[in-house]
Amino acid sequence: MASNVPRVVIATLGMDQHENGAIAVQRMLMESQMVTSYLGVLNTPGVVAAHAEEFEADVIGISCHSWEYLTLVPELIGLLQTRNFDCPVVIGGSIITPADAESMLAKGVDDVFDATASQDQIVNSIRDLVIRKRNA
Amino acid sequence: MSKQSTRAGIELESFYGSGSAEQPGEFPFTRGRFAQTKAGGWQQRELSGEGDGRRSNEQIKYLLALGQNGIDIIGDGPTMSMFDADHPLLASSIGTQGVSLCCRQDYIDLFKDIPLDQVAVSSSVPSLVSLAGLLCAAKHYGFDPSTLRGSVLQMPLYGEDCTYANHLPVDLRVRLSLDCMEYCAVHMPKFHAYVEDTYFFSESGLDAVEETALGIIEIRHLTRKLIERGINVDAFAPRIAILVDCGMDFFEEVAKIRAIRRLFAKIMRDEFGAQDPRSQTVVVTSHTSGLSLTAQQPVNNIVRGTLQALSLVFGGAHAIEISTFDEAYRTPSKEGHLIGLRTQQIIEAESGVTRVVDPLGGSYFVEELTDAVEARVLARIEEIEKAGDPETLQQQGYFKKIFHTAMEDNQLAVQKGDLSIIGVNAHVVDAEEDTMLKNIAETKIEPCKRQINRVADLKQTRDQTLANQSLTELARAVKDGKNLVPVVMACFEANVTVGEMSGTMRQATAQPYDPFGMIEPLIEVSA
Repeated sequence: MASNVPRVVIATLGMDQHENGAIAVQRMLMESQMVTSYLGVLNTPGVVAAHAEEFEADVIGISCHSWEYLTLVPELIGLLQTRNFDCPVVIGGSIITPADAESMLAKGVDDVFDATASQDQIVNSIRDLVIRKRNA
Repeated sequence: MSKQSTRAGIELESFYGSGSAEQPGEFPFTRGRFAQTKAGGWQQRELSGEGDGRRSNEQIKYLLALGQNGIDIIGDGPTMSMFDADHPLLASSIGTQGVSLCCRQDYIDLFKDIPLDQVAVSSSVPSLVSLAGLLCAAKHYGFDPSTLRGSVLQMPLYGEDCTYANHLPVDLRVRLSLDCMEYCAVHMPKFHAYVEDTYFFSESGLDAVEETALGIIEIRHLTRKLIERGINVDAFAPRIAILVDCGMDFFEEVAKIRAIRRLFAKIMRDEFGAQDPRSQTVVVTSHTSGLSLTAQQPVNNIVRGTLQALSLVFGGAHAIEISTFDEAYRTPSKEGHLIGLRTQQIIEAESGVTRVVDPLGGSYFVEELTDAVEARVLARIEEIEKAGDPETLQQQGYFKKIFHTAMEDNQLAVQKGDLSIIGVNAHVVDAEEDTMLKNIAETKIEPCKRQINRVADLKQTRDQTLANQSLTELARAVKDGKNLVPVVMACFEANVTVGEMSGTMRQATAQPYDPFGMIEPLIEVSA
């Protein structure tokens, strides 16, 4: 991608249909001069992985308001590896407990934003991941 | 009814302001449907449903034993979107955020030993299958449909764009709602076939005016359509109710409920010609706001639920569910249920706030606020209806934009501190100190493997010819306009599952059988 502008795909997975967080984060990233693609609800990990590759995403952000993420996010990471598409995955949501955050980080998630995460924290983390990816 | 008195023995009237322009129990019912407080208070119920029908039946019995006098059921994500438990993508979500209800036997299990002629069953599960499932269970246990009490939610214009998508076209969703209302108008006189659910979409962050305007638009749309079917408005309007959201703006929530009663009365009498006073007096029920709850310091949510429930009592709500302290994380725990219900019981039995109808009526502030909400709602309705027919607006994404904008604005108001939320952007404590009740809130409900296996087994062991015939009949009925309630009941009786029914309805309207593209249809259907 020629542009320096970070490109972020945002989605929810499975039956998780609470979009408030996803939509607010998308606007936050757009206001921070990032290009976003919001996939909406009812996505399979396969759909998100394929779209991220097509969109040439730098980062994938998954909004979590259902425990399905514990199964589907590792599945997404596995699919990205299978496709040989290097793309950091971050997750966010009030339901993510400290123990689950640790578990997700151990399974390959690059950052976790709980209910206390500030706008600066989210934006800076994504910028750092974009730099890391592009320098890899 | 004997007169009530205060603790000091001061005798109280049933309401105050008898010389004022508006009286409780009289048109336009701003001050309440009745001039007397309702014997037995309001219907107290807490949201229930987890695992399969059997586990949720135990949960219902636990709540009834605590003194709950109504049942409020939520389906898990797949059930709310009409998918089966054995869908290959959804194993990790079965029974974790509500009950999984896929087949006739699930409803029979859910309502085992429940006196369906005495306890009102309110369900958030998609209305057509919820109604048909209840009727199948009632038939199994020997209850006449005419004795059944309770309600189903209708959200045909907004459901697809906010929280629970069914992947059905809007004209079919409207028709499903009308079919339920028409069927119940004939067969289930005690049942509310139409609860206008403004709760779920206002949880996107809508304010009271926007919530009410969208609700009234849907009520007018469905009422017009049902009258077009040749049904007299007085045959169904008495069984319309509204389920509202209740947020933290205390007096505005009171004013909203008062304004809704007034708006509904005027619309039914003046626009639709309803003659029966019961057609003009809408029942208002409510859930306290899940959106207002915080994952931080979850114990604070008990206070939020208490304040919101109190404003609902002042507004004259007829049924209340308090979103429990742990709902920022999960569907209610046993402890959450207990606290939610005890909160309602304390308000009712100890505080004395129910002794007088419309206790805030006559307050300069509340009366002016009620007038202002009403005026703004009417202006907003006019603005939206000028934009086009509601079904067309839905197809154009008009409502989705409203919801998404509200989601963005609400979250950003919290982020920027414009909306003060204790524990989030004010009086924050370190995560290490934030431990009170966290262990309960963070406890997970495991996916219900028993239910996944049961649904898969059912599909292997049933009479497949009968199942296919029932689905063929369903597809035919979708196309020829026959009322779908008896058709869906027949599908349940043939052990057809909800996922198969919704898939067939999608096929019949030229939609993909499985929106995820992972399972094949049972029968061929040409759209």
